[in-house]
Parts: sequence; structure tokens; C-alpha cells
Amino acid sequence: MNKLYPALGALSVGAALVAGGGDTVTASSHREAPAIAEDQYVDNTDVYAFISPASSDRMVFVANYVPLLLPASGPNYYRFSEDAHYEIHIDNTGDAKEDITYRWEFKNSLKNGNTFLYNTGTIELLNDPDLNVTQTYDLYRINHKTGAKTRIMDDAPVAPWNVGKRSFPSGYEQIALQAVTTKSGISSFAGPRDEPFFVDLHVFDLLGVGGVPTTDGVNVMSLVLEVPITEIAKDGNRPAAGDTSPSSVVGVYASASRPQVRVLRRNRASDDYGNMIQVSRLAWPLINEVIVPLRDKDKFNRSAPADDVKNFGAYILDPEVPKLLNGVLGAGCAPTPAGGRVDIVGLLSPNGTAAADLLRINITANQTNAQSKFPNGRALADDVTDTLLTVACNNGAAIRDNVNQNDKAFTATFPYLASPASGNP
Amino acid sequence: MSLRRSTLLLLVLATAATACRSEEQRAAPPKVEPLPKLASATQADLAHELDQAEERGTWAEVKRRWQGQTLRWTVTRQRVLCQTAEACNVSAFPVQRPAPVGWLPTLRFAPGQFAALESRCAGKDVCEVTIEGKLERLQVSAEQPTNLELTGVKIVGAQG
Repeated sequence: MNKLYPALGALSVGAALVAGGGDTVTASSHREAPAIAEDQYVDNTDVYAFISPASSDRMVFVANYVPLLLPASGPNYYRFSEDAHYEIHIDNTGDAKEDITYRWEFKNSLKNGNTFLYNTGTIELLNDPDLNVTQTYDLYRINHKTGAKTRIMDDAPVAPWNVGKRSFPSGYEQIALQAVTTKSGISSFAGPRDEPFFVDLHVFDLLGVGGVPTTDGVNVMSLVLEVPITEIAKDGNRPAAGDTSPSSVVGVYASASRPQVRVLRRNRASDDYGNMIQVSRLAWPLINEVIVPLRDKDKFNRSAPADDVKNFGAYILDPEVPKLLNGVLGAGCAPTPAGGRVDIVGLLSPNGTAAADLLRINITANQTNAQSKFPNGRALADDVTDTLLTVACNNGAAIRDNVNQNDKAFTATFPYLASPASGNP
Repeated sequence: MSLRRSTLLLLVLATAATACRSEEQRAAPPKVEPLPKLASATQADLAHELDQAEERGTWAEVKRRWQGQTLRWTVTRQRVLCQTAEACNVSAFPVQRPAPVGWLPTLRFAPGQFAALESRCAGKDVCEVTIEGKLERLQVSAEQPTNLELTGVKIVGAQG
């Protein structure tokens, strides 16, 4: 039984409900708001946080961006945006405000501008001279308590796109894994991976779903970070086993920001000015996607988790999903209690932390990878759609979408996500 | 030459005098118009004006009209969202689908009034109370979500 969330402990053994002969699913946070749907490269799709399967002293964070990528997407394959900040934020005091931020800043390189080719020959190494278009990144750690900004990695390589078998005759993955960079006990990976979120996106056709795994075979751009737990714990001290104080959990969210002003030039690309403005954020799956209504979705992406209750609390107290489940599928979801869904607020505020859309995970000394299961963090294999639909419906029965696992197996070693689908298998 | 010098001197003096007058005018305290009391200031009125602002971009007008008003609203206190005097948000509308707004007003209590709230709610996790307080801060814009804060909040009635 999960100590943080005892009410959810029974979900894994709950009876399946095929509501009205159909099933219901949603996408985690892919193209979830109007503005971000027009700015694909900074669209944060999913966030994961779990204790490392390799060591219980280490924490793994995964922040995925750029949704639903077709593998054969040349000649300009997907990458991270050079002018954006991609960030993972951690609250280690329970007040829902960031205490530590890891920030990735990317830089593009082009070896030969006289060709349209991404690679001009076969690729045998990550630094192969025939890999024409490349990216590198600097990774920073920002301590908001002290104001210290430390560059952890400098010009670390981004894994290339999996163009196809002709470009990678000796195999893609062994080259992609050369992009794993480890410094001072911190491991980082940036690059394309197989989309780990499994779902039937036909849900958005008036809940018309039937267990079709629509995200199979597509890729996503992943940031994966593994750090010692002492790096993220309050004051650098991992809480003792049994600690139930607000600092016994850390709250995690990812974001992307762009410069406030872009000036398009006639004779060159563009110039950017001004402060960085947050344009995407994500922690729990599906909050902005199906809890926040259309009129406030863009504003959600601009706002901070610490303000979630005062900004969006009413939406959480009475989510729209059960009404839809009842109306379209006759799911028999429970009516909302007079005081609203305070149980959901409770899930968003474990161990006395401030309620907010943060992915919270217990970091006390006894925690292991096996206990990292949504909503105590989120593991790659967690069927969060089933969990959240069941919570939303709140009638004692489990609701399942019949898309129960990813098409590719996750790996036991860093960066844990499966190799991306090939553009030419 | 002498005439030109006199003219120049006059010009300088005239300019200085004008500058002084301008300075005096600038220094005069701005006339503060008392905030006109809204004929109807329910939460539904505010939500309606915010809906209109969404369409017309009249955010500044809504803020000018509402910020500073003393409001008397009946709200729902959920204990999990209002556990202490320092961290208290309440529902401005009865729970309903779809929720008409996302915001939950933040309350800053007058001395002793959080205890009055606890007393009125009599240990219930959910209760309705009528409050009165000044709308000290109303954040409204096309970019950021709406939120509001009432200060000097007093409990003036309770139900349920």
C-alpha cells in the first residue's frame, strides 16, 4: 500500500469497468492548449519522477517535449529549440515554490550549409563528420535559496534523430547512447526517444475510443536527468525513513520558456529580446489537458504552481470529466459532493504540502524504485490514464482504457526510455 | 545691444516663471475620486464582467471598478483549502459543472475572525459562510489567470 496515497492503493486490483460498452482515454499533455499547440518545440508532453532502478540513492527526472513526432520527418528533423529554456523545477520545502531548477540551453551547429542532408554519409560515431546537423547543450543548476547558478555541463551532445537504417548501418542506439553525459555524479541525456505515454487519442472524437494505442510508433524529445537525492533534498539532507514532514517529499514540474519579443528580419532569421516568458508547464498528467477549460489553458501555462489553488482551484473541485463519462458513456460516476472534490485536493497536497499541480515523490531514506508509482512520482510504465479516470469517476470501480502498456519495453539502465522509432526501419 | 540684453533677460525670467508654475501644478496633489460603490457586487457580477473582459479586453476597467470595493459574499469554506488564517481560499460559487470560474478568493482575516470562522463552521469540513471584506487585490489580464484577495475579512453569518 502506498503510504502517501492510501486511497489509491486499491486501484491496481480494482475491477475493470467498460462503461457503456466503450472505454475512455485522454492524452497526457500533448497539444493541450491553443497557444502551445502553435509552438510545438516547447510543448511539454509528460513529466516523470522515480527513484533510480540502479540506485535507491538517486532520483530520475524525465521531461518530454515536442509531441507526436513521425519518425520519417526529414529533411529537417525534430530537435530542441535554440532560443528556449527547458527546465525541471523542484520544490523541497512543500510550499509549491521552486527551490532548485535544472535548465537546459541548446545550441545548433551546421557543418555544411551547401546540402539539404541531415547527414552526408553513414554515421558510425556521435561526433561523425558526416553528421551534418547537430545540437549541444549547457545544463545549469540554479539554487533559488542562495541564488547560485552553476553550469553543470558545457556543450554536452544531443543524440541525433534516428534517420534510418541506411544512415545508421551499425545501429542507431549505440550511437545515441554516446550522448549520455555524466559529470560530478549527475547523468544527463537529451534527444529523441520512443514516446513512452500510451493512450488512445480517439478520445477527442466525442470519447470514441476502443483501445487503439495511437501513440505507438511515434517519438518525442526527451530530457533525462539522474541526480543524487541529496542534490534535491532540503538543505542537502535526505529525510530519515518515516519522516512525514512537508520536506519528506519533493514536488516536481517541468516548463519551457521563450524570449518575450521576437523581431523577424528580412535578411536573416530573427532577433530575440526581453525576459524569458514561461509558455508551457507540466507536472501531473492531464491537469491542463482536461481539468482546465479552454479559456484558461494558455493562462495555466503562463502561471506558477504555487498559485494553482487561487487561480484554478474551482476547476479541480469539480472536474468536467465525470460529467462527460456519464453523459457519453453512462459510466455511473459519482455526483460531486456539495463541498467539491476535496479528495483530489488532498492528492495534490501530500504530507502537509501546499496543494498545487506538482508531481510529488517521497524521498525518505527507505524509498526505492518499486515505490515510485503515480501519484507518488510517476514511473514510465504507470498507466496514469486508468488511475486518473478512476479517481475522477469516483464510484468505487476502476475505469480502464484498454491501452495498458507501451509498445516498446523500457530499459533498466539510463536513460531508461526506449530507442526512438526509425525513420526508415 | 542693451535692448537685446534686456529682452533676453525678460525671456529667461518668463521661462523661469512658467517653469515654476508648472512645478507648482505638478506638485499639486492629484484629486482622488472616491470609488463609486457598485450597485450590485456579487460574485456572479464579477464573473460576468470578467467574461466580458475576455471578449472585449476591458481588464483595466474591471480592475478599476472592483478593486477597493467592500464586498459581502456568501462563500463555501472547504477545510482542506482554508486550514489556517495564513492559507485560506474559499469557493465563491456553489460547486457545479462546469465551474463558472477557476479562481478561489484568498481571504486575509481581521483579528480574531479566523477563529470566528472555525466557530461558525463548528468542525464541519465544508460550510457556507457570509463574509465581508475589502477587495484589496484583483489580478486580471489577458495573459495571467484571474485571482483576488479580500482583506480585513469578517464573518457576518453562517449556514450549513
